[in-house]
Amino acid sequence: MAETPPLDAAIFPTTSRPIQSRPAPEPLKFTGSGSEYFRIWIVNLALTYLTLGIYSPWAKVRRMQYLYRNTLLAGSGFDYHGKPIAILKGRAIAVGMILLYQGLTLVNPTAAGIVGVLIGLVMPWFLLRSLAFRLTNTSWRGLRFRFEGTAGGAYRVFLLWPVLASITLGLLAPAAHHAMKRWQHSDSTFGRTRFAFAASTGEFYRVWSMTAGLVLAVPLLVGVVALVAGATGWTSTDLLPRDSGIILLVVIAIVGFYVGLLAVMPFFVTRMQNLVWSRTSLGPHRFESDMRFRKTLNIMVANMFLTIVTLGLYRPFAVIRMARYRIEAMTFVPGESLDHFLGQQAREVEAFGEEVSEFFDIDIAL
Amino acid sequence: MNETPTASPVHCDYLDGTTTRRRRVALRVEDGHAVVEGEDIARRDPLGRVRVSERMGSAPRLVSFPDGAFCEVRDHAALDALLGATGFRESFVVRIQARWRWVAAALAACVAVVAAAYAYALPWAAEIAAAHVPPGAMAKLSEQTLEVLEGRFLQPSNLPQDRRTVLARRFVRMATPDGDQVPHELLFRSSPAIGANALALPSGTIILTDELVALASSDDEILAVLCHELGHVQRRHGVRKALQSTVVGLVTTWYLGDVSSLAAAIPAALLDARYSREMESEADAYGARMLRANGLSPTLLAIMLERLEGSRKPDVSPGTKDGKETDDGAGGYLRSHPATEERIRALRRPAD
Repeated sequence: MAETPPLDAAIFPTTSRPIQSRPAPEPLKFTGSGSEYFRIWIVNLALTYLTLGIYSPWAKVRRMQYLYRNTLLAGSGFDYHGKPIAILKGRAIAVGMILLYQGLTLVNPTAAGIVGVLIGLVMPWFLLRSLAFRLTNTSWRGLRFRFEGTAGGAYRVFLLWPVLASITLGLLAPAAHHAMKRWQHSDSTFGRTRFAFAASTGEFYRVWSMTAGLVLAVPLLVGVVALVAGATGWTSTDLLPRDSGIILLVVIAIVGFYVGLLAVMPFFVTRMQNLVWSRTSLGPHRFESDMRFRKTLNIMVANMFLTIVTLGLYRPFAVIRMARYRIEAMTFVPGESLDHFLGQQAREVEAFGEEVSEFFDIDIAL
Repeated sequence: MNETPTASPVHCDYLDGTTTRRRRVALRVEDGHAVVEGEDIARRDPLGRVRVSERMGSAPRLVSFPDGAFCEVRDHAALDALLGATGFRESFVVRIQARWRWVAAALAACVAVVAAAYAYALPWAAEIAAAHVPPGAMAKLSEQTLEVLEGRFLQPSNLPQDRRTVLARRFVRMATPDGDQVPHELLFRSSPAIGANALALPSGTIILTDELVALASSDDEILAVLCHELGHVQRRHGVRKALQSTVVGLVTTWYLGDVSSLAAAIPAALLDARYSREMESEADAYGARMLRANGLSPTLLAIMLERLEGSRKPDVSPGTKDGKETDDGAGGYLRSHPATEERIRALRRPAD
């Protein structure tokens, strides 16, 4: 607000600003506040409860709009256009499917198994619709985003690749993840301009293996220490009775494993966002992301702790804190003026794909 | 124009919905119309066709026109004045979101609903659902539980065969309080790990430990415990508890979201312990009625509870056990002694 205008803007009116070859990088801004979001969240939650859930789509739209509109790029906010009625229909279908499935597991496990497989088979299509719904309903400066991925692509990245990843016991998981992100990012458009994704499979393997190393480092180290100790007879010295030495090592290994587990999400989120966004471009423009692991770790651990201690009341504050950090770590690097994007006709997308995948708790945001 | 504007114009950005080019414009209201004037743009729309987005903190507000064009407004005070002059009223929800008193009321409503759902709706739904769980599913659930327990916590019984037969026969011959059939099967096991105890699995399998047989001073006391366990079976406590903790677990995991399921398991486990206390009382009541129906005194069960209380060992086994509460597993967080005393008092109270 109290920004000093650049010198040339002070001299020339904005319209006749001299043509620059390259506009300055635009860091994304987030102006949301925890206390505002808390009030929106709790009031809409109460309305949702008091209407037995019927109000929940309106609550969702309001929450999304709060987050989107408080995200600013070059002074303009993003916007969310999801229609509550469309979301309500989507939720009704999702709830129906889950009740059918849960009911069947009690009455007829075989039929439930078949229905489960069927749901699994349509899930890639739901996820495709979900991506399309989310992007179609996102805009900036009045231009909509759009997702143009095909059903074939969805089945490739949400079915074929995951199957390959599990057959190879996870060895292909980073490649599967890469295929998914590439598909997601290169089939998205903003107005008539297409996104492009240039990260390599190798870069994904690097982040994944570092993450795995984080969990396994301490237990592996302890294992090595134990082997060496066993070979040298250290554990049977007078200092520690044999058993307590082993117990100590096991405890260290377990504690190390859990501490590692706590660090896994922050580490992965940090590295992935940085990798994915710094390899994403939009026409002549590109992005940069500079999240720091230590900072993410602090925020996520504090959020988790405070959410538990406040029995969940801290959650809206946690959402805002995380969103602020993730958004403000991003910079948009324009290749030309931001005024030249052109739009195309918006298409309506049904909401049920989004709602079904949300109910099955499938997160494709990472 | 001769008219005096009721509020000064709002300076904002105009976007036409087809390009990202921003135009600086002034927005004002005149004769029931919204008027936009600025950099090569001039438009005039009846107020009835113009939409104003809700106030969302310091985020820009949008004044949208039917063709997809809109004004992005950052000067909130000026827009408020303009809107005020047109008689615009924020929606009810937006108004209560802005008032801390209403926010507190909303919070209270949420807490009340969650508490009611947890205390009444969940047990009620679980009871209904439990009645529809097919015997096959219960048998499977019980089989899995038994599999976990066998070997690790349970060893073959050391009781002489004829002693086992006598106990089993006496129990089979006992009439249920309502005269209905409750299919069950009695298993004798030795368990130094669990100690004096009896466990009821959903399928009707009742496990009786040698340690409990040794603790009792008469067979009637053992039967009293078995009646209590049959109460768990008849009231389908095992399935109900499993259903309830599944729902609580699902909700907490979903709610805590990005928090690892490790953390989600803690509250679920703590909440879980409370159910068993209510169910214990239900099983006590059933046991007491069954004892009376067979000419025995409910005091027998009270005596056994006292003996079990006296023989307490540090807790080792997970979940399903009872006789002594599972509660002390939570490190004394949920004290179980007052509850046991209350149960004993209830059993010693003369029947109405």
